[in-house]
Amino acid sequence: MNKSHSGRARFTLVAAAVATILAGCAGMPKAPPGSEAVRSKLTTLKSQPQLAAQVPVDLEQAEKAVVLAETPQRDAQVAAHRVYLADRLVDTARVTAETRLAEQQRAELKRQGDDARLAARTNEADAAQLAASAARSDAASSRVEADSARADANVARTEADTARMTTEAARVAADSAAVAAAAAATAKAQQQELEHQIALLQAKTTERGIVLTLGDVLFASGSDQLKPGAAGHLDRLVGFMGTYADRVATIEGHTDSVGEEGYNQGLSQRRADAVKAYLAGRGIAPTRLTSIGKGETYPIAGNESAGGRQQNRRVEVVIGNDVKSVAQLR
Amino acid sequence: MKKFPPIYSCAVILIALAAGACASAPPVPEASLQAARQAITTAEGVDAGHSAPGELAEARSKLAEADAAVKAGRMASAEQLALQSRASAELAAAKTASIKALAVNAETKASNAALIQELNRNTGERK
Repeated sequence: MNKSHSGRARFTLVAAAVATILAGCAGMPKAPPGSEAVRSKLTTLKSQPQLAAQVPVDLEQAEKAVVLAETPQRDAQVAAHRVYLADRLVDTARVTAETRLAEQQRAELKRQGDDARLAARTNEADAAQLAASAARSDAASSRVEADSARADANVARTEADTARMTTEAARVAADSAAVAAAAAATAKAQQQELEHQIALLQAKTTERGIVLTLGDVLFASGSDQLKPGAAGHLDRLVGFMGTYADRVATIEGHTDSVGEEGYNQGLSQRRADAVKAYLAGRGIAPTRLTSIGKGETYPIAGNESAGGRQQNRRVEVVIGNDVKSVAQLR
Repeated sequence: MKKFPPIYSCAVILIALAAGACASAPPVPEASLQAARQAITTAEGVDAGHSAPGELAEARSKLAEADAAVKAGRMASAEQLALQSRASAELAAAKTASIKALAVNAETKASNAALIQELNRNTGERK
């Protein structure tokens, strides 16, 4: 009795052990098909730090989806579904990262373009800076005036309080101070915008006004027909005149001393007229434009050398420095 | 009055409830379907049909399959297909954005090069 009982117990133990091992083999976890490929895609993306840094949240979500896709799953349809979603998420994370990286690089590209423009125009920038610092000191002094006006208003208010007078007078003073401060701020903003526009126009601020000198770019030698490429140079001017609609411009044609004086006079006039006609065609009111042929009488360089003559062949656009008209824009 | 003891009444109610639960079909995965439709509309809005036609077409066909599954009463499949449709549509939109961003960069690069060339020529003339 005792012997047979212990024998059966031993048999039960062995059977249980075998069953456990078999069960272990049968249930050996296996990643669903396709999940390995998605994992490798995600690993590749993560190994590119420049891209990976752009989309930390997307990567986290993709990681979760891939882990889920890798989890052994009896239902083949559910397994395929999870692999599909994980694959889409990884792809989306990659292209999103590419977009963001491109946007970052774009800022750098823009900066490079600005740098190039700046470097090539150091002289103009220097001149503009002089004008700008003068304008800035103007703005600063008007700010000082505004500050003192505000201080005056405070004093007035204090006096009014102390004397227990009506507050009406103080309020009027405070209001006018606020108006003065706002006017100063507006004037400063307008001045900054004008400087920016002049810089865009690539013009110089002079005593005569804003002078835009267009060299050999507008006309072929001896011709009064605008070159096809001239539009690009003139359209900047059209933009400026459009923004500052109260300003008037004088268009001056100049030539070198080669050829007859009378012919040069006529040619310079026809060229100035052609520029005026172009600007008028682009919507600038002709009443704001004056065209003058100055012939060979105003050289800016010697006519002895080819380089000097080239500099003398030019069209100058002088935009009136009419500060009043800027003030009226308010 | 004592024909039906309270225990019987309870049993009857429980059985009725259980039967009711079995009889009602699983609900239509309306939220997932709606999200998929929305994602497709968004992708169409950024012109993904041009930049990522494959992904967008797949999103549309998955949505159509999802709708068919709803009609056939296979709600679990419908839900999966709707989720897949949405993921494809979102990929289509993201891909479109990426292609556009890279194109803008290429254009900026080209215009920078043109600018530098033009400025060099201008400064050369002046000397």
